[in-house]
Amino acid sequence: MLCESCGKNPVTTHVKTIINGKLTEYLLCAECAQRLGYGNLLTELGCNYGSLLGEFFGEAERTDSVRCQCCGSSFNDIVRSGKVGCAECYHTFYDRLIPLIQRIHGDTNHRGKVPGGSMLRKPPQEQLSLMRRELREAIRTENFEQAANLRDRIKELEGGNSHG
Amino acid sequence: MDDLRENGSEQDVVIRTRIHLTRNLRDIPFPSKMNRTDRLTLVHKAMDAVEENKALSHILRYMDMGSLSKTEAVSLVERYLVSAEFISDCEGRGVFITDDESMSIMVNEEDHIHIQSSLWGLNLENAYQKADILDDLLNRSLHFAFDKDLGYLTQNPVKLGTGMRASLILHLPALRGSGGIVRISSNLSKLGLSLRGVFETGEDSKGAVYQLSNQVTFGISEQEAIANLKSIATQLIHQERALWEELAEKPEIQDTVSRSLAILQSAKMMAYDEFLQLASNVRFGISVGLIGDIRSDQLNRLIIAMQPATLTLRSGKKLTQNERRILRANQVRDLLYK
Repeated sequence: MLCESCGKNPVTTHVKTIINGKLTEYLLCAECAQRLGYGNLLTELGCNYGSLLGEFFGEAERTDSVRCQCCGSSFNDIVRSGKVGCAECYHTFYDRLIPLIQRIHGDTNHRGKVPGGSMLRKPPQEQLSLMRRELREAIRTENFEQAANLRDRIKELEGGNSHG
Repeated sequence: MDDLRENGSEQDVVIRTRIHLTRNLRDIPFPSKMNRTDRLTLVHKAMDAVEENKALSHILRYMDMGSLSKTEAVSLVERYLVSAEFISDCEGRGVFITDDESMSIMVNEEDHIHIQSSLWGLNLENAYQKADILDDLLNRSLHFAFDKDLGYLTQNPVKLGTGMRASLILHLPALRGSGGIVRISSNLSKLGLSLRGVFETGEDSKGAVYQLSNQVTFGISEQEAIANLKSIATQLIHQERALWEELAEKPEIQDTVSRSLAILQSAKMMAYDEFLQLASNVRFGISVGLIGDIRSDQLNRLIIAMQPATLTLRSGKKLTQNERRILRANQVRDLLYK
């Protein structure tokens, strides 16, 4: 692959910049990288390039020796890119990520599905209460066909309960 | 899965319901950290997961994005089977699609696995149930990354939680005409919902087709998110319908509807943008009872099928822009002219 700037030399440097949350990528040869100011990229990255999320997360700690065993990310990498490297990162950096996650989502926990816990296997009581709510809504909006259907399904479930 | 009701309600306003689930695997880096080998490993794992399960292998077929032509790839976006971002870099990406195109699984999008289910009309519960079952079946072999406090783990921490995005495609010509969309849209964003034009250029939303979807995935269950979305959608539907009666009595509106139908029934060449606007007018005419012998669902399908790449793909040959416009006008005439 040839350098995107000069179009002559092979690519040696892959530059990703995130400015105001917009990701731009350049594939450059060593010469052009130097010329365009990406020569000492490794030392500059830490202070010059920040994403929106990076700013949101606050200033990253500059010295960071802990790296995720699965993907090699440091906590700085995550803050800088606004992207978590892999599922394992959530464990590796749990204590440091939690305050950031709370700043995004507020002090709350996951309340939705647990893997394998399909709606079909939800306790019948929970399904029933959901369906009764839908039934009320269907009647309120005069959607009688849907209401009749729901009523039948609720009857079925209730019937199942009395036998079980 | 076949016994679920496929036909949703409120089809005069709601064109389509879509449920989208974002999932990742534990032992492979997230996409921004993936190399080519990781992408291929994930594709193979997904293929194995589908093949191991007869319920899945019977209904899903795989397409390697890297081997598709530009037209084929764009058509997948037009048919809402993959995202526009997905085809910007097709290398090492793939998609599983059911024959009826109601479900798809993108592999290697912004997160590892994107499950999508869509149905016509307002049909959130059934669409969710289908995606939910697909999610469970895939999870048996892929063991999605999950934390009991954080929910499904995602590359972007903003998307943690259920990983569920529920969307409704709405046709809101009267609300758009009344200039109410901007106000509604800003109010909805305060409620954690978004309303935006589907065929958008700048401020203008062509054809008055909008997408209403939930933004919040954390601290709320799938059922609650769906119930919220449904309740807001119901209000929007009522607001839209409340304007109809008065509009339908205006001669100018009746004229626009009749002229739009006449053009669709007689034009010899038609650009997609023009088609979309005319179809929107006619769809409105059907909804308010000004047009009786055409059904909204026929137009819904045309709105998808008449898009440039999909039209070209189904013609089976390369078409110039003019040839496309001629073919589009022919097909629209055939369907609408009695």
